[in-house]
Amino acid sequence: MGTAAHTETELSLVERMKEGDPSAYKHAVRHYSPSMLAVARFYLDHANADEVVQDCWVSVIDAIQKFEGRSGLKTWLHRIVANRCKNQIRSSSREVVTDFSDSLDPDLANRFKPSGRWKAPPQARFHESAEALMETEALNDCLDKHLSALPETQRSALMLYEAHQHASGEVCNILDVSASNLRVLLHRARQKVFLMVEAFQETGEC
Amino acid sequence: MLMCRDLARIASDYIDDELGTRQNLSVKVHLMMCKGCRTFIDNLRTSTELMTYHSSFKVDEDFLRRIDERVTDALKAHQSGKSNQD
Repeated sequence: MGTAAHTETELSLVERMKEGDPSAYKHAVRHYSPSMLAVARFYLDHANADEVVQDCWVSVIDAIQKFEGRSGLKTWLHRIVANRCKNQIRSSSREVVTDFSDSLDPDLANRFKPSGRWKAPPQARFHESAEALMETEALNDCLDKHLSALPETQRSALMLYEAHQHASGEVCNILDVSASNLRVLLHRARQKVFLMVEAFQETGEC
Repeated sequence: MLMCRDLARIASDYIDDELGTRQNLSVKVHLMMCKGCRTFIDNLRTSTELMTYHSSFKVDEDFLRRIDERVTDALKAHQSGKSNQD
């Protein structure tokens, strides 16, 4: 999961960006902006997050000259976004407030008896593997819908950790959360996905 | 003794191999005896893998175009700044 390893493609992209090649920027903007936006939305509302990501790309034009490759390009870009967001929050004296008190999703918590045993256990294993499930278009749409309804903090954690395969220490650093709080965010988001797929497999509806 | 609800709380840590040896062992023992929790862990693991495959974090093409425009302008300014220095 380390991000310091550079692919040849990434090295050549960085070189082209250093030379100011517009097509390199166009490629990089498409490749890295979704996860940069996920980082920004962890801290800020959508409008401010959009603004920060745009500003970051402009600042990258100068900053890339000093990029020495100690981390991967993606990690470096995520740090720039995170630092800018943290500065913005600091100057407006706002805080990112998230409740980390219970890692159990309330809908799942209701499925246990007071004794702690299952009242409504999962009835069956999912019919297919994740890869096969992804081929179900209706399920994909349903996943889209549920993921966009997740709190931004959970979405950002999921995206950086699962979809972008950042190491957990790196995610903690970028999102400024402790390791245990990151675990809570990830677990809550996964439970939501679990509950969604379970309902979809039982009813065929989203 | 680890109850099903306790296991559900730490299920992601188990899947990611983030539990200590003792806790990991008590989860394994519990799973041997509890079909509901075995199914839960299997399905939570599949749900987790779904996240890795899913690329729903797409952004609006208009947003990307706005970035392109700002980057293009900034690159031009950067280039002309450099040539003025030269």
